Amino acid sequence: MNDTAIKTTELSHSYGPKAALKGLNLSVGEGEIFGLLGHNGAGKTTAVSLLTTLIPPTEGTATILGLDIHADADEVRRTIGYLPENVQFYGNLTLLENLRFFARLSGLDKPDARIREVLEFLDFTGHESERLSTFSKGMRQRVGIAQSILHNPKVLFLDEPTSGLDPQGVRNLREIILNLNRHFGMTIFMNTHLLAEVTQTCTSIGVLREGELVYQDSLAATLTAFPDEASLEDIYLHIEARPER
Amino acid sequence: MPQVLLAVFVGMVTASSVIGWLTNQVVTSVYDRTFAAGLTTQPNPFSAVSPLYYAKNTVIYIILIGALLAIVLGVQSTIRDRKAHTFDLVLSRPVRPASYLGAKLAGLLCWVAGILALSALISWTSISAIVGSVLSPGDTARLLGFYALAWLFLLPFIILGMLTGVYSRRETTALLVPIVIWSVVTFVVPQLGTAAHPVSLLNPVPAIASQGGVFQLANLVLGPLSLTEHFKQASAFVLGDTATTGSPLLSLVVMVAFAGCMLVVLLTTQRDRMRSPLDE
Repeated sequence: MNDTAIKTTELSHSYGPKAALKGLNLSVGEGEIFGLLGHNGAGKTTAVSLLTTLIPPTEGTATILGLDIHADADEVRRTIGYLPENVQFYGNLTLLENLRFFARLSGLDKPDARIREVLEFLDFTGHESERLSTFSKGMRQRVGIAQSILHNPKVLFLDEPTSGLDPQGVRNLREIILNLNRHFGMTIFMNTHLLAEVTQTCTSIGVLREGELVYQDSLAATLTAFPDEASLEDIYLHIEARPER
Repeated sequence: MPQVLLAVFVGMVTASSVIGWLTNQVVTSVYDRTFAAGLTTQPNPFSAVSPLYYAKNTVIYIILIGALLAIVLGVQSTIRDRKAHTFDLVLSRPVRPASYLGAKLAGLLCWVAGILALSALISWTSISAIVGSVLSPGDTARLLGFYALAWLFLLPFIILGMLTGVYSRRETTALLVPIVIWSVVTFVVPQLGTAAHPVSLLNPVPAIASQGGVFQLANLVLGPLSLTEHFKQASAFVLGDTATTGSPLLSLVVMVAFAGCMLVVLLTTQRDRMRSPLDE
């Protein structure tokens, strides 16, 4: 059993001359809910894209449960689930058809039983034959979570999962994330802007600034380390503003 | 947009036979009057014409509308996945880009085959109605052969659309670039190689190279790139057009080579290229 779910070593990526991620050294333990914070353009999505094997690193390496994202890319893809930000599914297909499509891409030959199980877990049954074009943003986000856990991934990557959700949707999603972690011990890596959500969901956090990781610790230790700050938002802004690493 | 192009294409295929029949009626009527006035003793040029003559105009509709439809379908199939970030969902799974793009292409080819099968049925029915008897098995086989050829001709355009959908930074560019390439292949290259007037390139009969030395040389160099001229050449042969000469083998080889090259480029597309964001 590997205690480290995600480990990056000097992980870097450049888009042409522009360095989006600079030597990321990060470690996330198994069963943690890790929140990666940072302003727009800080490199959060690039980090997730690298860890989900969507783009190759320019330099450095990373492992997911001991599997190298480059050398063992296909094995990593079987191990992880991923929900990108603002993803749209096939609106002219029903929920069941969409989930069958993604289940088969994940290697599930007869996926219906598993789809039913996942929809029951998400308390989302009764919509199987409805077209996704009729779904609200919150419902579509549940579809997103459903497709990402169909193949029982051990590590789940969520890119701004609460983006565009109303307060009820945010609360529902928070419960789902916590349940996935509690019931299945799933390691969850999420990029987010909503610091209130981080406080209620994450066990550890990291802060990216202009492609560099400027802070990483457990949430409890973070709250203790900044006794003068009233909230995580204040702590985040404090970390973001300080000049030294 | 694809729905409009599809409707226009199917409508034109239907109209194609009617246009051929009307041409026959007009020429025969003029011929009859000319013959009655004793101005000619030659036989009616339409008396020995093959029933497949009526499908001749379909060649041009496939080059003009069919190719555009293929391009639009190809572009939309890939650019939609980029815009919607569906490629991210697919490629974060153990799926090879070549497998996914190949499957998408196979789906599109099935769809295009369905459209062409419908067009073949329309052509067969309307020609049979015009000539007043069911097409012979030989002519039916030739008609089906022509539509199979059309499928092969459209294949590179579907792939071209898919590729620009993957590689372009903007949606407008993704549509514009393959249309420009189609225009060059359809009009500019044949014109450079044959000195034919652009309008004459819309004739289903292949353009004949000018006897001028420069054009002979240009035809030698650019001839293999004249995909539409090769399609016209092979179609004319398959449809039994007596006005065409030579073998369709070279044309078939060129069409297969085009399709093969495009397929190789498509199937070697890189994972990170497929999910690159659009500028808009």
